[in-house]
Amino acid sequence: MEFDRETLLKLGKLARISIKDKQLDFLSRDLSSILKFVDQLKEINTENIDPTANSLNQNLIRREDEKSNTNNIEDVLENAPEKELNFYVVPKVIE
Amino acid sequence: MIDKLNIVKAAELLKKKEVSSVQIVKEYLNRINKGKDLNCFNEVSSTNAVKDAEASDERRKNDSLKSEYDGIPIGIKDLFCTKGVTTTASSKILSNFVPSYESTVTQNCEDAGLISLGKLNCDEFAMGSTNKTSFFGPVKNPWKSRGSNAELVPGGSSGGSAAAVAADLCTASLGTDTGGSIRQPASFTGTVGLKPSYGRVSRWGIVAFASSLDQAGPITKTVDDAAILLEIISGHDKNDSTSSIHNKEEYFKNLNSNVKGMKIGIPKEFRSDNLPSSTQKAWDDCRNLLKSNGAEIVDLSLPYTMDALPAYYIIAPAEASSNLARYDGVRYGLREQGSNLIEMYENTRSEGFGDEVKRRILVGTYVLSSGYYDAYYLKAQKVRSLIKNDFNNAFSKVDAILTPSTPSVAFEIANEPNDPVQNYLNDVFTVPVNLAGIPAISIPFTNDENNLPIGLQIITNSFEEQKLLNIAKNIEETIQYKEVPEKWWVK
Repeated sequence: MEFDRETLLKLGKLARISIKDKQLDFLSRDLSSILKFVDQLKEINTENIDPTANSLNQNLIRREDEKSNTNNIEDVLENAPEKELNFYVVPKVIE
Repeated sequence: MIDKLNIVKAAELLKKKEVSSVQIVKEYLNRINKGKDLNCFNEVSSTNAVKDAEASDERRKNDSLKSEYDGIPIGIKDLFCTKGVTTTASSKILSNFVPSYESTVTQNCEDAGLISLGKLNCDEFAMGSTNKTSFFGPVKNPWKSRGSNAELVPGGSSGGSAAAVAADLCTASLGTDTGGSIRQPASFTGTVGLKPSYGRVSRWGIVAFASSLDQAGPITKTVDDAAILLEIISGHDKNDSTSSIHNKEEYFKNLNSNVKGMKIGIPKEFRSDNLPSSTQKAWDDCRNLLKSNGAEIVDLSLPYTMDALPAYYIIAPAEASSNLARYDGVRYGLREQGSNLIEMYENTRSEGFGDEVKRRILVGTYVLSSGYYDAYYLKAQKVRSLIKNDFNNAFSKVDAILTPSTPSVAFEIANEPNDPVQNYLNDVFTVPVNLAGIPAISIPFTNDENNLPIGLQIITNSFEEQKLLNIAKNIEETIQYKEVPEKWWVK
């Protein structure tokens, strides 16, 4: 797999990372190298093998749904780069 | 008195009142200050640490200790959220982040009376095995090659955690291990590093990298200390649905270094012509040592060992790309302006993440993207099953597996491979363990011909940390590794 300009810019869009023209060359080289490395898995026969998402052999644990005083507004908003009243502020979305 | 102080010794001295917690803390703060060149700490908690030590000394007077380890200072990887103390994951994007809550692991330490000396440098978002991806610059390994002045990497990602313990800037430290990030730096610095079973330790409040692989664990000077610290940090946590319901164990009290009759497996796939002869010799010597101490040596095969690394470099970036989607400049961390919302996201993430983190997010995005999911992510998860099966088969025949921890000793900071895959190969011996979710420990065995530490890795089945520690203790008692680096960093 070679990463051309178009593929890289599309990936950047999907990942919400702006990619500058001067980065295209080394990103293409690096990502191609990584993909080539992981591509060796294609040679392994995994027919009838179930995937492992997580190695813990345990069902999800239930707990009582109790009221607690975590995540209060002050704490949650404490680190917001921009806030107003009890809201996060972002650039205008709707004209 | 504080030289080479570990948790066990510190507890003894404090108990006999030969030293106070304030004295210990002040001595370490002094050393940390003198050891600034090593770049181990992102932030030193001088004021808080002294205050906490005073409170501990007060508790000792009043006979109201939180535990027998009350008043002992440790260092904390800058990946654990600490209430009111900047937590950066060594990334620009979190460089101003002050959590309003405490991670379960650090809370458990606080509940035992342990004191934090500060936050330790690491690779950015724990992605790396050199500590060079940190926004705050690389940590330097306290060890240097004999006759050379070149600065060496401490390994990573828990490079600051390992270097601080090796340089005697704290009694012990906390790290995290997603693909070897505790064991590899431990191996590079002559320290003990333990990665617990997946689920043994709560991940709540730890900056997430790859959630199905991440585990926190101790980096220490001795196996005893690893047992103590693991005991303190482990246990079920209702805030982490993947934390295990297995009961907390008394690892330290139950330490038993007898290996008579134990079966130790030597996997042939870890043998390689590229392995330095001194590492091969250390591995052979340890095998013989365990044999003469009464263990039975079993040659075995883990056929999918070499497939673990490529599987890891699909799974870990995939999970990372998802986990790191939260850094969007809206709720916390860095924000870069943009003319609209999307541009603000893109500028923030482009400016806030370093090159390696971006590479992994892009790879992760690619392997999860439409049309590629089955070929990459699902395929890797199936290979993960095969790797897990390898270990299951092995543990039906043996109690534990012995391997080298790393394919090389510490190398020069200036030595930068052009290809990221070259860097990834550092973790070739440690990654299979994370994919299988089992515990492993790296212990220092000897130093090579250039006086650099060689670590060996012991692996056991899930939740058999006690056995792991017992075998490590046996080796430690027999070899009596006492090497310490020259303190070149003290001006």
